[in-house]
Amino acid sequence: MLKVVDETKKAFLTGNETIAWAALAAGADIMFGYPITPQNEVMHYWTRLAPKYGRGFLQTEDEISAGFTVCGAVQAGKKAFTATAGPGNVLMQEPFGMAEAMRLPLFAIIQQRGGPSSGTVIYSQQEVTLTTFGGNGEGYRVVYSSATHQEIYDYTIKGFNVAWKYRWPTFLLGDGYQAKMREPLEMYNPEEKGIELEPAYPLLGLPGKIGEDREPQHLCNIYSLEEELYDVVMNLSADYERVAPELIEWQEHSCEDADIIILTHGVVSRAADDAVKALRAQGIKAGYFRPITLRPYPTQQLREAIAKSGAKKLLIAESSYGQFERLTKQEIYGETIKIEHLYMPGVGIIDHDIINKVKSVL
Amino acid sequence: MAINRALELKSQGRQVTLVDLDTVEPFYTLRPLKELLEQMGLTVIGLTPTNSFGLGETGAMLVPAARWALRREGDIILDVGYGVYGAQTLNLVEGADTSTELRVIAVINYSRPMTSTKGRIIEYVKELGRVDALVANTHLGDETTPEVIEKGTQVILECAEELGIPVDYIAVDRKLADKWSPDFGVPVKWITRYMPAAVW
Repeated sequence: MLKVVDETKKAFLTGNETIAWAALAAGADIMFGYPITPQNEVMHYWTRLAPKYGRGFLQTEDEISAGFTVCGAVQAGKKAFTATAGPGNVLMQEPFGMAEAMRLPLFAIIQQRGGPSSGTVIYSQQEVTLTTFGGNGEGYRVVYSSATHQEIYDYTIKGFNVAWKYRWPTFLLGDGYQAKMREPLEMYNPEEKGIELEPAYPLLGLPGKIGEDREPQHLCNIYSLEEELYDVVMNLSADYERVAPELIEWQEHSCEDADIIILTHGVVSRAADDAVKALRAQGIKAGYFRPITLRPYPTQQLREAIAKSGAKKLLIAESSYGQFERLTKQEIYGETIKIEHLYMPGVGIIDHDIINKVKSVL
Repeated sequence: MAINRALELKSQGRQVTLVDLDTVEPFYTLRPLKELLEQMGLTVIGLTPTNSFGLGETGAMLVPAARWALRREGDIILDVGYGVYGAQTLNLVEGADTSTELRVIAVINYSRPMTSTKGRIIEYVKELGRVDALVANTHLGDETTPEVIEKGTQVILECAEELGIPVDYIAVDRKLADKWSPDFGVPVKWITRYMPAAVW
């Protein structure tokens, strides 16, 4: 196979371009997609690159079809993926739910845009609820929220591996800013970093006679008995809860003696990191905590950060109107720390926004 | 690059119009900078945040005046988007295919993966169609070093020779001007990076 990265070195890319290269490096076989801002350039770059590396692309008639063709391709043993945003993310929840039910290892990139409804193409963090809990019923998925282009590259490679290793639909949650802006990152071939790529494997058409050579492969998303559904949900839950500790990722610093912990995710974490450093320089004891996996959420780790710091306040900053706060509150139910928030739906948050908010609540 | 060239010409007392034709990555357009650039004496054909407010997805469309930009007096700089689809935007401009004064300049950054080897640069330039000159602009944003520029520029110069087209100049971030004196046998222009201000 043609080497994807000629030489490990720093390169200057948009976030969308980064995803296309990382998907190549991760060994993706085929992308199914339907155009939508701000993920279009994932498709643009993939369609330019894929033929050179013997990979495939199909533009489907809509996002529902894109999601289901991914579901079909992974069952046939292909490492398939898609990318979408906004109303496309809404439409894809049906195939994503099917992937949850059938334990299909698909990988999807969500570049968040503003809502409600369909015509807003600008930056936001308003797809947290949809991406983490968008399926109908009670399904399970893994959601990484990236903050830098290096993370986009790293977690795209990791996302494919996690999906195929654990068989949960896996998501990279970016946003319009990360999609469009350019910044340097190190591109590499995963194998050269000691990262072993999980192989794709067929789920249908397996060799051997059912009942004699092998057990039947149950890939099902229709349950006609209440007791059957009960068993399925309980088994899915138990499987997910068993592996969740292996999947949880977070970043934390300066929490040990913090009076206030700043909680952010995704690109806003860059502002929080700068804000904590600036506040510390001014003698204000601020701490930084950031879930990298929004699902499974680093619940225990956040509870421990709160406990060890003795912080009186938790400031949640997000470019949405409370989606991240609601997710956090359900995870740390029972904590008595006072929660403050900075909601800036659709607007980028910079360090000064957080610094000013901290000073107004301390 | 287009902004720097426009301001350079303006500083020579010339009449300059800068046209935003970037439909490839419209979030990276001149929109947030338009008023600033007009205060600096340029005529800018493009949308502002104010007059695209409420347009939603159509806010990324071109302003009609862009189509007729080449019929204006003075120097006209058309800022088109990246890649082959960016170059095709010239199809929207009246006279672009017949003008004898138009020069198409491809700005090449060796740190971009699509142009990260000699072979890829040559393939990329050929894909663009008509290209009259190159500008060598290898950089890594805030992480640019002289070594990064030197390596990239050398490759770009070799490509230009093979393609038989000139390198007009080498564009280098002004922040490096005090630390480094490049000598490539091609003019160096020290540029100011304006686009980071266009996002946040």
